[in-house]
Amino acid sequence: MSDFKESGFMYGIALFVIGFVVIESVFFILKAWKRGKEIGLTKETMKNTVYSSILFTIAPAVSILTTVIVLASALGIVLPWIRLSVIGNLAYETVASQTMLEVLGSSLNKEITDPAQFGAVAWVMTIGTSFALILVPLFCKTIQKKVGKAVHKSESSSKTADIVSAAAFIGIIAAFIARAIYGKTTDGIGDAGFMSVCTLVTAVAVSLLLEQLCLKFNLKKLEPFAMPLSMFAAMGMAVVLNLVVPEQVAGFTWW
Amino acid sequence: MKSERTYYDKVHIWGRLWTVGALLVLLSVPSAICLHLNVWPQMHDVFAALKTVIPLYWGTAVIEVLTYTPMLGAGATYLSFVTGNIVNLKMPCSLNAMENAKVRANSEEGEVISTISIGVSAITTTVILAVGVLAFSPLLVKLTDPSSVFAPAFTYILPALFGALGAGYFRKHWKISIFPIVVGVIILLFVPTLASGTLIFATLIAAIGGALLMQKLKWI
Repeated sequence: MSDFKESGFMYGIALFVIGFVVIESVFFILKAWKRGKEIGLTKETMKNTVYSSILFTIAPAVSILTTVIVLASALGIVLPWIRLSVIGNLAYETVASQTMLEVLGSSLNKEITDPAQFGAVAWVMTIGTSFALILVPLFCKTIQKKVGKAVHKSESSSKTADIVSAAAFIGIIAAFIARAIYGKTTDGIGDAGFMSVCTLVTAVAVSLLLEQLCLKFNLKKLEPFAMPLSMFAAMGMAVVLNLVVPEQVAGFTWW
Repeated sequence: MKSERTYYDKVHIWGRLWTVGALLVLLSVPSAICLHLNVWPQMHDVFAALKTVIPLYWGTAVIEVLTYTPMLGAGATYLSFVTGNIVNLKMPCSLNAMENAKVRANSEEGEVISTISIGVSAITTTVILAVGVLAFSPLLVKLTDPSSVFAPAFTYILPALFGALGAGYFRKHWKISIFPIVVGVIILLFVPTLASGTLIFATLIAAIGGALLMQKLKWI
């Protein structure tokens, strides 16, 4: 392995970028915490937010780590680590790097040994995702103001505001539910079929069960963890089904 | 009321400064790599790749900013777009936190809870990635390898995540829930690999439009 991809210099860049992200996150948490106290949110509510967010993040973060490791075979471990710590996402980094490497007549299946190719991949990954960082400072305030106005208008009918708010949540989640029912991935891994539907149904069922248990036995402390626990249960179900169900059934997809 | 406006104004000032800073930090990465290695890529090669990548992701960026900003709140939006992984992590994490705290998006309580949630999630991700990269990458390769017994857990992480997150909403608002899911499935029947950002835009419009129509018809 050419060590320019994993040199001390690269680790130095990684520490710089990751340090920036951590400091920004701490800054916003402290400001929000202070404001939360001012507007009467209890310490317990905010602490529960911290605990449940940590628990919630573990599984997806391990999944993100997988992407880092997958990309590491071609790009070394440091550049994917930097990219997935800031702004990057699971799908984008793979597509961006593969596209650049294809132009250069290479592929993610092969290790990059040419520093110029490595630099080119770093540029394409960066430029492709930078646009959102230009849009957000320009339009975030305007969008927030318009939404705020709309909400305050409809607060004369508080029910409408509640319905729109719930519908917006549901609209986002619905896209992923639909994808689990009948979606296809670009790389063919995780296409909708037997496994995706069973995982989805398990997650919903365990979540509803835990919700009922919390209500019936007044388990207030369990409430924030019901969602991550349901997610882990569903992931466990995917593992078990893959082991016990015949391969032609477990491997069934619509595609 | 005055204090509320002041807080939001401050959030936007902080957010803009941090985002511009993040943009500079991001651009410094390829610049530093090229300077250090003393190599500069051929511009026509980079443009050739960007011709494919930009239409794919810049359009999605516009939709994401329009869709997520109202849901996440100001502070969380600035933080999310810098720390990434919005669809598969930050957004559901924030929704879960607001649901647990029983606060509504677009309220000041929602703004605070969402910001704390996204900040904690970003730090947790950073720690897991750092520990994973430095200590456990050999083990994780085995754990997530397609031949590993645990591989399906990671392959189907999104149905697990959104099924668990959606269950409570579906129970409480099942009438509102059916229509956007059906719309999503119908769209996927025609364009099965449609990008999540675009699909969300469609299901979001279907959910809000459908809910308002049902309210008008007094079905809910």
